[in-house]
Amino acid sequence: MWSKLAALIFVGALAASAQDASFDPHSSIRINLPSDSPVSLLSTNVGESRATPRGGAMVVDLHMSLSLRNSGKRNIRGVTLLVTTQEMTPGGKASVAVPSLNVAPDQAFPIRIDLRLLRPLQAGGGPLVTVDLDGVLFDGFDFYGKDRLNSRRAMTVWEMEAERDRRHFKSALAASGGEGLRREMLDSLARQAERPHIDVRLSHGGPSITSAAANEHAERFAFLRIPDSPVEALDGVADVAGNEARTPRIRVVNRSSKPVRYLEIGWIVKDSEGREFLAGSVPALEGDRLLSPGQTGRALQDTALRFSRNAGQPVSIASMTGFVSQVEFADGKVWVPNREALQDSGLLRVVAPSPEEQRLADLYRTKGLNAVIEDLRKF
Amino acid sequence: MRKHPSEADLALFAGGELSRWRRWGVERHAAECEECRRDIFDFEALRVESGALAAVPEVSWDRLAAEMKANIRLGLEAGECVNPRPAPRIVFSPRALAACVSLAALLVASVFLERPSPRVADVKTLEPVLETSRSGIQFRDGDQGIVMLNRRAGDVHGVNYSATGSTMRESYVDSETGLVTINNVYVE
Repeated sequence: MWSKLAALIFVGALAASAQDASFDPHSSIRINLPSDSPVSLLSTNVGESRATPRGGAMVVDLHMSLSLRNSGKRNIRGVTLLVTTQEMTPGGKASVAVPSLNVAPDQAFPIRIDLRLLRPLQAGGGPLVTVDLDGVLFDGFDFYGKDRLNSRRAMTVWEMEAERDRRHFKSALAASGGEGLRREMLDSLARQAERPHIDVRLSHGGPSITSAAANEHAERFAFLRIPDSPVEALDGVADVAGNEARTPRIRVVNRSSKPVRYLEIGWIVKDSEGREFLAGSVPALEGDRLLSPGQTGRALQDTALRFSRNAGQPVSIASMTGFVSQVEFADGKVWVPNREALQDSGLLRVVAPSPEEQRLADLYRTKGLNAVIEDLRKF
Repeated sequence: MRKHPSEADLALFAGGELSRWRRWGVERHAAECEECRRDIFDFEALRVESGALAAVPEVSWDRLAAEMKANIRLGLEAGECVNPRPAPRIVFSPRALAACVSLAALLVASVFLERPSPRVADVKTLEPVLETSRSGIQFRDGDQGIVMLNRRAGDVHGVNYSATGSTMRESYVDSETGLVTINNVYVE
């Protein structure tokens, strides 16, 4: 009886110990900007950030707002920050990127960090959270930064997509005036609303579900050919069991005249009811290996993806389609599919909009057509 | 040797919840008393286990309760169809009622202490995983899960998720700044 009572008191004590603790911005957060950084920190607001002990870990709830200034001489197009509580701990590392910027020299701009990270309770001293500048992309695709997260490539891809989509919307405006642009904006918002919502579970290294191996079979990819793609996907398979697909292996060939450093294959899954959704993308050729012109290589990813909807209802995989979604050449230049290819292949309604299209459509939704026209004129 | 601290004090000590003065006393006693040290260790282990249990279920207990109630009602109605309704009479004497209330309290306490979770047959996570849900990107390691991207609802519009390699990505337009923000969480 007494031991039960003690346990009850103990559980009560646990609940009491789960109280949040806001933290001191000066000692708890370290923001590292190199001395030659093209951005400088104007102010930090940690707002409602909290650290809460839970089990053997500290849960760090970040709701920060940084005000940065472009202290360089070029317009900034994107910034990526690396946010860590403890880098080697699962759940201790994240990044925040803000693409589609157009920040002139001396202009200030905000970055909000809304993340939750984990940190072991036994972690040593030092700040709870460290924010590092991983990269800054300027107009003309010049880059500054340590690039530990390959943010140069990611921000270059986003900026290439931004240029592509701005060109598309500008040409709609030029061809059909404000009404033409309005139709494009409404189409974009409708596509974004109609994209099927699917929950994806990603695990790295081996199957995430032990029972999955029982019904597993190799499912072949079908590939969408994009006319000007510098890399062609030849064939590929992934191990599929029920609603789980893992270890995609895709053979590709470099059709261009330049060596390729990196590429990604977009991965579309069709369910048994014929609905298509973008499952993710398969990165390939990371590291020092290059795919020379004419050479065949293999995209291999040791991950497992599991799909569900409506809070856990499994989505069975009926078929899979792949397409080359981005290519980075050895010289740092990047290829992305053009707008016409996305439209003609039907990919436009499946893939997520580019950050720039997302921003412009939201601008239309919140401020109207004239704000979009004004924004497009700045580029 | 001095008198042993109470079990409640040992439990609170294990959770780091004792006042500074009492903690000092328990600490001094435990340094010399192996039995109490073992009790503290047991409470610490229980604390870790209960932390894990607290994170497990994503089960809608309200929904389960509603379903159970509906099934019971259905059963009663079916019974009424089959059997003629007996004449109403008082079933519970005050003593029986008190016994039932005590039993119910015991049941609630045991459920609270044991925190039973439904067993999902043959499903076991071997690796840390990232998963998307309505509330954001969730990190899950074994039976413990936590939502990693906790942007405040209403502050964002048009959230897109994507998985690339060992990274889960979320992009949205921040309604306060009007800027697209892309968050990445890494599974390793």
